[in-house]
This record gives sequence, C-alpha cells and structure tokens, in this order.
Amino acid sequence: TSGPSDTPHTPCVQMRDQALRYRSIHTQLMEMVLTLQQTVEDHIMQLTTRPQQRDLALEEQWHGQAIREQEALLGRLLFQIVSFLPAGAPGDQSVQPPCTSTDSRGDVGGGQPVQANRQTGQMLYQESDFENTVISYDLSNRGIDISALYHLSFRDYDTYQGNKYHKDKNTLGYINLGTSENKLCTDLLAERLSQSDMTYVDEDLLQYTDWRGQPFLRKEVARFLTFYCKTPKPLDPENVVILNGCSAVFSALAMVLCDPGEAFLVPTPAYGGFAFSTHLYAKVKLVPVHLESQVTEANGYPFQLTVDKLEHTLLRAKIEGKKVRGLVLINPQNPLGDVYSQDSMMEYLEFAKKYNLHVIVDEMYMLSVFDEAITFHSVLSMKSLPDPNKTHVIWGASKDFCISGFRFGALYTHNREVASAMSCFGYLHSISGIAQYKLRQLLQDREWIDNIYLPSYHFRLQEAHRYVTRKLKASKVPFLNRGSGLYVWINLKQYLDPCTFEEELLLHRRFLDHKLILSPGKTFMCKEPGWFRLVFAARPHLLRNAMRRFQQVLVEQAQERTVKQLEDAMKEEVSTPQPEAPASPALRKS
Amino acid sequence: MFTLPQKEFRMTTACPGSDSIQDLPSNKGDGLERECSRKPDQKLLKFYGVGDPAAELSSSSPYLSSRGSVIKWFWDSAEEGYRTYHMDEYDEDKNPSGIINLGTSENKLCFDLLSRRLSQSDMLQVEPALLQYPDWRGHLFLREEVARFLSFYCRSPAPLKPENVVVLNGCASLFSALATVLCEAGEAFLIPAPYYGAITQHVYLYGNVRLVCVYLDSEVTGLETRPFQLTVEKLEMALQGANSEGVKVKGLILINPQNPLGDIYSPGELQEYLEFAKRHELHVMVDEVYMLSVFEESAGYRSVLSLERLPDPQRTHVMWATSKDFGMSGLRFGTLYTENRAVATAVASLCRYHGLSGLVQYQMAQLLRDHDWINQVYLPENHARLKAAHTYVSEDLRALGIPFVSRGAGFFIWVDLRKYLPEATFEEEVLLWRRFLENKVLLSFGKAFECKEPGWFRLVFSDKTHRLHLGEWSRLLTAPFSPPSCFWPHWGPSSLSWLVRTHPASVLTLTCPFPPPRDAEGPTGA
Repeated sequence: TSGPSDTPHTPCVQMRDQALRYRSIHTQLMEMVLTLQQTVEDHIMQLTTRPQQRDLALEEQWHGQAIREQEALLGRLLFQIVSFLPAGAPGDQSVQPPCTSTDSRGDVGGGQPVQANRQTGQMLYQESDFENTVISYDLSNRGIDISALYHLSFRDYDTYQGNKYHKDKNTLGYINLGTSENKLCTDLLAERLSQSDMTYVDEDLLQYTDWRGQPFLRKEVARFLTFYCKTPKPLDPENVVILNGCSAVFSALAMVLCDPGEAFLVPTPAYGGFAFSTHLYAKVKLVPVHLESQVTEANGYPFQLTVDKLEHTLLRAKIEGKKVRGLVLINPQNPLGDVYSQDSMMEYLEFAKKYNLHVIVDEMYMLSVFDEAITFHSVLSMKSLPDPNKTHVIWGASKDFCISGFRFGALYTHNREVASAMSCFGYLHSISGIAQYKLRQLLQDREWIDNIYLPSYHFRLQEAHRYVTRKLKASKVPFLNRGSGLYVWINLKQYLDPCTFEEELLLHRRFLDHKLILSPGKTFMCKEPGWFRLVFAARPHLLRNAMRRFQQVLVEQAQERTVKQLEDAMKEEVSTPQPEAPASPALRKS
Repeated sequence: MFTLPQKEFRMTTACPGSDSIQDLPSNKGDGLERECSRKPDQKLLKFYGVGDPAAELSSSSPYLSSRGSVIKWFWDSAEEGYRTYHMDEYDEDKNPSGIINLGTSENKLCFDLLSRRLSQSDMLQVEPALLQYPDWRGHLFLREEVARFLSFYCRSPAPLKPENVVVLNGCASLFSALATVLCEAGEAFLIPAPYYGAITQHVYLYGNVRLVCVYLDSEVTGLETRPFQLTVEKLEMALQGANSEGVKVKGLILINPQNPLGDIYSPGELQEYLEFAKRHELHVMVDEVYMLSVFEESAGYRSVLSLERLPDPQRTHVMWATSKDFGMSGLRFGTLYTENRAVATAVASLCRYHGLSGLVQYQMAQLLRDHDWINQVYLPENHARLKAAHTYVSEDLRALGIPFVSRGAGFFIWVDLRKYLPEATFEEEVLLWRRFLENKVLLSFGKAFECKEPGWFRLVFSDKTHRLHLGEWSRLLTAPFSPPSCFWPHWGPSSLSWLVRTHPASVLTLTCPFPPPRDAEGPTGA
C-alpha cells in the first residue's frame, strides 16, 4: 500500500501540520482521497487535451491508453485508501468518506467527490480486481491510524532493515545515515559486554521485580547521573524510573502529564520520534516553536531558540484554544547539534515556570559532545531549578553507548507523584532483569568508561565528523557546524527547484534510489524546505561509500536542474507551453 | 504477579461514557450516549459486570493529568500488599520470620535448571547487530524460532509462520497493544471471571478499554460438570447485558489453562467459545501463558493452535510467554501469533515501546531452539516438581477440610475460604487477607480476580516445600472467629486496626502460627 504515500500532499506525511495530523482518520483519508483525485485529474486533463492540439491518430491511441492506465491507477490508489477505512459501528452509516470507485470513470473529471458509504467500500472489495490488496475491518480507527502513521514514517527504515549494506555480502544494500544510531563503537561495546562479569544469572533477575526498575540499577543510574551531570547533590535512586527506552519514557510521560488533545511546546526542527511517542498511544499534540535559519537581530546564530519565540508560540496556541501542558527541550539538540548555555537554559526554565509548564529535558546525547571547546551543562547540574517539581530529565544509553538495541531509558524527576504514575507503566515498558544487570555492570565501570570508552568514542566522532564535513565543504553544501551529536544538519536548498517540501521529498527519493537514506527536514517539523540530517556515526568504510553516493546524487540533481532550466528557457522562447512528460516523478514512482 | 485489589465491589449500571479521561471521537460518543439511557436488564446483572477502573478515583493532582491521577491510583493501590511484602521478604537465612509470598504467580521451582542453562556458553554471544535497533516485530531469528517452537509444542496441524509472530516484552504489553489496535477508547472485551486481574490495568492504561466480566459460579447447575464452568449461554448473556448498557464489545479474552482456576478448556468447549465469538464478530485473544505448565497429563490440554480448523482465524490471536512456563517472569518475553496481518502490523507499530533487548532475544532463541534440553531435562523435571508441590499443598488443604478447585495446571490452587467469613462480603474477604498478611503469608483474594463470590483465594504452590507448610492455617483461620471475649468484644471490620493499636503483644502471641521452616525436603531437596 505504498500508493497513497507516494503523493507528497498526503496529510499523513505532513507531520508539520498539526491541524491535519490530529484530525480523525476519516478526515485524513478524506483529504487523501481529494488530493489524489485532484492530482490525477490534472494529469488526465493534460493527456486528454494534448491529442486535440496535435491531432495525430497514433498519438491519440497512445494517449487513450495512458488515460486508461491513469484511471486504473486512480482507482487502485483510491481503493487502497478505502481499504484503510475502518468498519464503523454496525448500523452507523453517518461516517461517509468520499471515494471514487473504479467504475466511476465518468465522475473522475467532474471534480465532485462521490459520496460512498461503507457498504460501497465492501462492494468494492468484493468486486475489485485488486484482490491482493490488504483490507481490514478488524482494527479500530486508532489502530488503523497507528498502523498507517508508522508505515508512512518508517517505510525507509523497514526497507533498510530488509536490504542492509554489508561491505562483503551486500555492497548494493542501503546505507542508513537517516536513523540516528551510533555504530562507531559497537566493537568496544560488544567486547565489554562479552566479559565474564556480564554473564551473571540470579534468581532475582528472572523474577518479577520492582516495576520502576531493579533497585540496583536505579541506584547505579542515580550515581552515574550524579557524576556525569555534575549535580550539586547526589541524586536519589527513588527519583529514577527505568523503562525500555526513551520513547517509552516519553510516551508514558505524555500520558501522565497530559490528557488527550493537550499539548507540549517543542522547538523545531526537533527529533521526529517525539511526534510518534506523544501521538500513538497518548494522543498528545506537539505545538512547534519554529526556529529559523536566518540570523536576525534577536538571533545570535541560526535556528536560535529565544524566549520571545516560546512566548509568542505559547500565546498563539492559547488563542487557538490549545491546552499546553509542557515544554520539550533536547539538549544537546537533535538534529541541530546545539548545546544550550546555562544562561539560555535558565531562561527557558524561567519561562516555563512563569506559564506553569512542565519541562521535559531530553539529554540523550549528553556524552556525545565531541568538540572539546564546548561544555555541556546538564539541567541537573543547576544549583537551583526554577521549578524542580515540574522539571523532568530523560537519559538513555542508546546513543551515548551505542546500544540502541538494548532498550533502556531513564527518567529523573523530583516529583514523586509523577514518578509513581510513571512506575505503573513499568508493566508495559519493562526491561529484562538480565539486561538490567548488564547495564548496571556497564554503567558502574567508570574506569572503562573514562579511560577507554569515552576517549575512543569522542576521537572516532571527531574523525567521522571531520571526514564528512570536509566532503560537504568540497561539495559546497552548507551545514551547521556544532560539536555534538551523531549528525550534521545540512542545507540542500540550492538543489531544490522550486524550494518546496515536495521537492525535498523528491530529493530524498533520489537518495533512496541510490540506496542512501537521509532524513529530510520535514520529518523534524522544520519550517524551511531543503534541510537534511546526515548521521555520521558510522565506520569509515561505510561513510566513504555513503559520501560517494551522496555526491553522485547531488551531481545528478544539479544536472537535472540545469536541463530543466534550459528547457524552461526554451519554452519561454517558443512561447507555446509544452508539458514535459518525464517531469512528473511522483507518478513515475507509483 | 501481584494482582490489583479493588476497593469495593460494584456492579456498574452508570453510563459507561462517563469517564472523561479519553476523548471519544464525537461520532462514537453520540452512539454511546444514546444507548446509555437504556436501563440494563436487572435479571442479567448477576451474570456480568462492566468494569470502570476510573470510578475509584477520588483526588487529583496538580502535577498530573486526570488520566495520570487514575494511573497513579492504580499504582498506589496495587502496591499495597506487594510493598508490605518487599519490606519484609521471607528468606531462609536472612529473614526466616519474613512474609512468604504465595500470592504472586511465579514458578520458583526450577531456577537451578534455568540458571545452568542460561549460563552455558551458547548464551553469551554479543553480536554488534544485537546492540542495534532491531526489526520492531522482533529479530527474524527469534520469530523463526518462536514459530518452530509453537508449531511443535502446540501441535499445530501445519507449520506456523514467522511472519505471523510478533515479539514483545511480555504479555502485559501485548494486551495493551491489542486493546489499542482492536478497540476505540471506551469499548470493551468480554472476560470470564474470576480472571487474572492485572489484565484490567493492561488494557486500560494506554488503551482505555474496559472488561465486561462473564461471572462464573462455584455452584454446578444444569448441564455443567464442574465448578466455575464457562458456558456459551453465560457468554451470550454477558454480551447481551453489555449491549443493553450500550457498551460496545470487540472481543473475548480466554485464558487457557485458566488463571486463577487452573481450569482447562476441552477442544470441544474451545470450539464452542470460538463459534460464539464468530457469530458476534468478536476477536478472541487466547492467553496460553501456562500451556506447558500442565502437570497432569490426564488433563488433556490442547492449544487453540492445534485445532484443525479455527472458526474465524482472522480474529483469533494467540498469546504466549516464557514468564510462567519457563519460570522467567523477569525476563520479559512475550509473543503474539495471529494470521491477521493487519493486526500483526498494527501491534508491531507499537513495538517501539515494547521492545526487548537484542541480547535477550538472542538468548530466548537459543533456549527455545534447544528441544533436547526442554523435552529431556526441563519439562519432565518441572512437571514432577509442580506435581509434588501441588500434592503437598492439596493434601494439607484436605487435612484442614478446606475445599478448593484445581485441575492439574498452573501454579495455583483456587481455595474456598467462604466458610471462614463471618459474613459473605468482600470487606470480610479483605480482612481475612490482611490477617494472612499480618501472619506473614501473602495470598491473593478473590476480589482481585473479579470473583463474584466473596471468600475465594488464590494460593500459589510453585515454591519450595518448606514455604508451603499450611499446618497452622486452621488456628489462623478459626482463631478470630472464636476469640476470647476479653480481647475482642466487638469483632468487626474495624477491630483489626483497633487490635493492633491496643494489644500489640497479644497479636504477636496469636499471630506466629508458622514454625521455623522445616529443612528442605520433598521434591525440591533433590
């Protein structure tokens, strides 16, 4: 069912557009149908008008066939959408998404949405030629929503999982520089985790335990954070809640801090996973605080977060009737790589306190600051927090320790009520006792961390960063040069013509065609098209290959752009517009 | 696992849409409200009950959302007994007068076998790929192994397929994910009660899905052959009752072997329940988490996956985990088997939040692959030990004249202490439960399983024999009800706290019925 998602207008893809995202699945599907109809209609119009101008019998025949193919495609796409439609309540036919059936050819050009109820959908199913299409009335609306959203957003990732690059076995496989996953030090970790102290099996590890996390692990996490966050006082293990990953922590936090439909502020571009974690289960909205690349008086550097912007966005959200319960900060920032100064952080926290907001500080990358000139200050290092009962810190080992497959995330909060409510989710987001034991062993081995792991890790990050940025400079690709995180935020606007999110998606597809995965800015709710996140935390041979593919794509993209510009210029000379057949990649892909 | 005590027994007749903690899509809500005005048929009420977990909440917090407050209440109340236990855990050496936990359904009999197996060298592999983001459905190698394992042990007529398998961190997560993708907020599943009470929380926390109890009776009537027998008639009545209240039921949960009854459904019965579900277009979630813990071979257990022909394969979803059958509740491994791709995909979409560590996935694959060890070492020994422990406890119960239900599966005996309640109320049931706890025995009371008759308790016997000695139970059970009048002039619900306050010494002398643990003997000593 990749059909619907291939259209860039699909509302589900428009992560940025909050209003669309949280409408019911019916509304979203309605939008999808209408958009598709419009798209294909335009194309058919083009095809049907051309033969009249040229008046060639052969051409006419060809176009006739193309039209039929178009209609079949339209029917198929619409049918796939219909197949997403859930079974409503028996006897309840009030929900009638518009759809155009395969046999309604006459209506296609009419531009009027054909009202069809669920029974039409079923009839379609029975009578359709497309029997292999997956159709399900078994899921709830939210189940369909979850499935569709996941599918649309992680398609690239699933493709990658099925066809990974391997330097010997699969050199034509996908290289994934899109997922922020640390692959630089898996060798060190694999070695450390193979040591004999890791293999302990105890009765307690195999049995039900404290759902907040094993006491020995909570204790170790408190000690670990006390040390690496440089807290003024030792942290209390009772304030630690451990779940299987930071996504889980975030999802559970959204549940206990917000009711459905309420919202968090989040400066964007921001890690797109938040949108899932708040939406899938919790149905909490994100209100983006759009940052801009352009440096103005108020902004000292590109994409700077200011209290003005926070305040402005919050107030506008309030006017729109949104109930904002918290602010989400990522520090070091993902995807920008910004590290907030203590002063800025204090300003943001004061802002939150002023408006009675919770602050969730995601410090996932706190040990991934590789530029020695930059000092990271954890929010836990502050002498006095403006509102300690509403400040919640998230950390996990996925990024800093290269073990995203370990599934470990921790919450530190002074608020016992929040901690208690979060603990309840221990049932649903628990970690194996055996894994908890290994994590404890890992986190308590300071000698290894400080003398072996962190120095090697930072050195490798520096090397990889240096290599990638050198290549970017050689290709004249602008980027943000911050010294933290596993990624660079790069600007490919110059390759987009026009500079739209549709073009951004096309460029993204072109990368995919060359078996390279990058994350387009839109998935970070970036307001400006043309930005991509490139993850460089990969081993050198992979990185070399990836950058070769990257440059190849840019060369192709530039060439195509030049050709297109030439053609445009020629068209202007001829003055009779002649649509270009191959210039519609969206359809070609379908 | 410790189950959730409910504060009071209620048959909800209120409007089911009343809980405001999840927004219902307006079109759904309208339907519900219209239906709500209908009065439920009074005759039906004793056959079913619609749960409303939010109804117990009284206070809210300035920091939490309203649903967060409900969730916190869940945590606080569920933890009462568990916390008391954890502060004073029994230990042969360190704390011989601590609380003995016969409430949590865990198999503690085979740790020696498991720890030896899990320490073998094939378990220690650390591939870099295991440390990276996985396929969220579970690593392919593990799903393949699960499919093979279930094909073999469930005796499926055709080999099961890895693509129908989804791996998560336990069945709790699976209930949560299934509830979310099969139901809208406020909709419900049918479940025969008494049932493993934690499911209430699992489907409610994220899913806001409720359970409609199909009440079973201890009394054998009509064509029934055993106590607490589930019949299609009861299912029909509960469904009809829920419908009459405007509650939309989307599925049926069956636990087989049953928890807490230890009951086993015959293939014929299973088929009938599945046909019932098909007639009403209900999903069936079959929780077979105790399928290898059937220690009486004569019980004739059959997995639903062994049926030649499922009435509605697209709506039949099977759950299994290693928690019980392999005594590893702390390992967090659960799996779904469903032929319905849409359901498998939707559940997998949520697996980002319910993933388990790659290293553990590897170990599970190694374990499930080792059929030699499972067939020749683990299962025979595990069944022998379960049977011995069961015999030990059931003989004690018989000697005490305490009736119970047990059919040779699971880790527990469903004990009938009704005759020890001065009044047949759930308040008295909780008092008796507290009395056990104060006497250092943690049991689970029937209300936690939504049993409709007060006085039933679940006793977990899968522990070392010396912990299971029930010899002193008679004193404990009878003492409060024939107290010396000078001590307890007005024995009643509030007397216990009064007693503790005013006569700590006398309580102490009365409440040490357990002798020092006997030396390990019987099956576990071997």
